[in-house]
Amino acid sequence: MFDSYLIRKDSLENVTENGKVVGFRFAVRIADYRGCMLSLHNGYYIEVDGEVYPREVQKFEINGKAPRDFQEIKKAVWEHWDFDDEGYVYVEKEGGLAPGVHHVGIQQSILVAYGYLPMLPKWVEEPPVPGTGAGAGKSSFICYYDLELQS
Amino acid sequence: MGIKRGVSLYSYQQAQFFKQLDWKGQIKEVHDNLKTDGIEIIDEATIHRYPFPTEEFIADWNNYMAQYEMKAVTMDVYLDALQFRDHVMNYHEAAERLKRDLRIAASMGFENVRCLSGVPIQVIELALPTAEKIGVRIGKEIHAPMPIKPRSKPKKNAMGFEISSKGVEEVMELRDRTGSPFVGLVPDFGIFLHEPSDVTVDYFRRNVPNPDAVDFIREFGGEYDLDELIRLLNEKYPGHSMDGGSIEQLSLHESCADPEDIREIVPYIVSIHGKFYHMTEIPGRPGEYEDKAIYYERPIEILKEEGFDGYIDSEYEGQRHQQDRGEEYLPDEVEEVRRHHEMLERLINK
Repeated sequence: MFDSYLIRKDSLENVTENGKVVGFRFAVRIADYRGCMLSLHNGYYIEVDGEVYPREVQKFEINGKAPRDFQEIKKAVWEHWDFDDEGYVYVEKEGGLAPGVHHVGIQQSILVAYGYLPMLPKWVEEPPVPGTGAGAGKSSFICYYDLELQS
Repeated sequence: MGIKRGVSLYSYQQAQFFKQLDWKGQIKEVHDNLKTDGIEIIDEATIHRYPFPTEEFIADWNNYMAQYEMKAVTMDVYLDALQFRDHVMNYHEAAERLKRDLRIAASMGFENVRCLSGVPIQVIELALPTAEKIGVRIGKEIHAPMPIKPRSKPKKNAMGFEISSKGVEEVMELRDRTGSPFVGLVPDFGIFLHEPSDVTVDYFRRNVPNPDAVDFIREFGGEYDLDELIRLLNEKYPGHSMDGGSIEQLSLHESCADPEDIREIVPYIVSIHGKFYHMTEIPGRPGEYEDKAIYYERPIEILKEEGFDGYIDSEYEGQRHQQDRGEEYLPDEVEEVRRHHEMLERLINK
């Protein structure tokens, strides 16, 4: 769902900390027709110009709080990501992205379950790695965008 | 009395996503242009700061509904059993979530809560005393591929769920045993979908590496069961990129319920989802519309014969399979729902 609209087109930018470029970020919406309990958000498959950035280097910013990694997000069991709200995905990358247009592929993982699905006990121990389609909710394909780095 | 028309605001999800219509605009469309009063919502789409809505939001909701003299029919709620991430919710925890949802529904004036077809009957039974106390009915959805009546051959869906009518029978048994009118069923017209909609087939043809794989599923979906079909597909089109659920949708060759099956559950129905994907003009009948992939005429005749007194709430779902394209190709949800109501009104008054 919303395959072509999950990333806001003019949102890709480098992130600076203490005068150093430490990575990049982009704004996303939820790939579903409803929001979710934030704890269910299990990260992204992210590919930029052919290079993959795993969940371990990702953070997510929502609800006016500082960006949190997905180990912290997992603990937000009574916090909600509302359907109407945009969040920011942060990716660590020393030096950030070069100016110009980048080919970005994403798949969002949200562990929604329409009841007691057989794989849930396994997902407690070992949540799916985003990108395989498992836990990808309503968009099982990787969605690609050509995004210009904003300055 | 009789069948009434309503809309699930689910139908306007895309307009909400793009900030073209908020919940107030959606309700006003139903009132002004569809000339009817039934409203259904998805809790996690409409309610700000769910599951802890503010008093201000609740007051605003109730006042707006009153201003337009609308009727809060059904609130759709979920069961995300992994919420706590360190364990799968047990049935008591699931019932606590359902009770919370029932109380939110009551505060917003809803008559019914729709729980998912995958919610165990024990969870519903645990929440039933709360439903009775606050006067909100629990309706369990009959959603495709769940049949209304038992099938000759047991099947599992792509998610590993056993496809059976057990869920329907359990609800009827609970209602009969307790005598409580606060538990019932919410059939979804998706059970009368007899082939994938053209918008679904086109979406997959656009997004897989080889569209022939989609045509293969359409051609042989009626001949093989799902496991065998997936095996053949993997063999013939390795890297076809479709998951089990997608293949299941595309392989559909007969509706999972027969229109006649709805007859005996009518006394148990609390409200109905009018699922549809694509309304097109009926050839030779200008201004009259149909969804070619879903049986509507016969089920509505049966509902009338059996004296169903309640709402069919439009649930438009065709937008999701067109959002891989540019803005100029996005469907107009408002127009789709207007066409659906042309059809509903015509069939109800026939």
